[in-house]
Amino acid sequence: MHEYSVTKSLVDLCNQEAERNKFAKIYKINLKIGKFTGFSPDSINFYFGYLKPNTKCSNAEIIFEEIPIRIKCKDCGKENIIDEPILMCPNCGKTDIEIISGREFFVESIEGE
Amino acid sequence: MRRVEVLKPVLVSNKQRAQENRKKFDSMNSLVINIIASPGAGKTSFIYRVVEHFKRNYRVLIIEGDIRGQVDSECLLKLKVDVIQINTLTECHLDAFMIAQVLPKIKKKYDLVLVENVGNLVCPAEFEIGEDFKLAILSTPEGDDKPLKYPLLFHLSKVVVINKCDLLPYVDFNLKKAKAGFKKENPKIRIFDVSAKTGKGFEKVYRFLERELKVKKKGFKK
Repeated sequence: MHEYSVTKSLVDLCNQEAERNKFAKIYKINLKIGKFTGFSPDSINFYFGYLKPNTKCSNAEIIFEEIPIRIKCKDCGKENIIDEPILMCPNCGKTDIEIISGREFFVESIEGE
Repeated sequence: MRRVEVLKPVLVSNKQRAQENRKKFDSMNSLVINIIASPGAGKTSFIYRVVEHFKRNYRVLIIEGDIRGQVDSECLLKLKVDVIQINTLTECHLDAFMIAQVLPKIKKKYDLVLVENVGNLVCPAEFEIGEDFKLAILSTPEGDDKPLKYPLLFHLSKVVVINKCDLLPYVDFNLKKAKAGFKKENPKIRIFDVSAKTGKGFEKVYRFLERELKVKKKGFKK
C-alpha cells in the first residue's frame, strides 16, 4: 500500500526532471531498486498506471533494474552478494555486517523528447 | 528521443523533510521515538506504561498515527498529557511530511515525544520521520519467526520490546529463538521482555529510556 506515496514521489520527480531538461514527454524511466527495500515493482506499476495520466509521464513505462544485496563482514572482511535479506556472513557466519548495496531506490535516467 | 541522467533518490524529499523535523526536535532537546509494531502488538499499552512512569518528571507528547479514528488518542488522553492525532486515511505508515504538518501545533518544549506509527511491520520501516530511533514491538502470539520475516524493521531499530510475555506458557513462542533472530538481523539491538498488562520487565525499559533522555537533554548530537 505504501507504494502509492512512493509512486507519487516518483512521478513528481520525473515531471520536475522533464521540466528541467525541456522534455515534452517521457517514454522511459530507468529506475534502480535495491533488493533490500520494501518496494514491489508490481505495486509501483499498478499505482503508476493510475497516477501518470495528464502528466509528462502519461506515455512512459518504468524499466526496473534490481540491485543485489551486497554485504561486507566486519569480522572476516569478506564481501558477498546474498539472495535473501538475512544479514549473516556466508563466509564465517558472523552477523556484524555492513550493507554495501541493496537499499537504493533512485531514478537513474529518463528518456523522452 | 533523448536520454538524461537523473541519479536522484525517489524518497529524497521525505529524507530531507525528516532531517528538518529532526533539527526542530533537536532544537528543543526532545527525544523522539518512532514506535512500530503490527496491529494489536500492544503499542498503546506500552506507551501508556511509559508515559505513566515519565510524566511526573518529564514533559511528554504523544503523536498518534492511525488510518482512521481516535480510539487510541482517547485512551491516552486519560493520562492527561498532550496527544496529537494524525489520520493517514489511505496510507499505511507515517511519513516525514505528516509529522511536519503537525509541528506547528507543538507550542511547548517536550522532553519525550512518543510517536505511535500505524500498525504494520513493513512500510513504516521505510519512512524516516525525524526520530532519534525506532523502537519495534513484537508480541508473543505473533510468533518467534518474525525477526526473519521482517528483516528491515529489526535491522533499523535500536530497540525491540517483546510484549505479552505473560502469555508465554500458552503460546508457541521460543524466546531464545526470537532473540537469536533479532541479533542476527541487528547485533547491536537492545531487547526487553515485558508484559504491558502486568508491568513485568518495565523497570529495565525505564532505566534505558531515562539514560536516553539524559543524553538528549545534554544536547548530544548524533
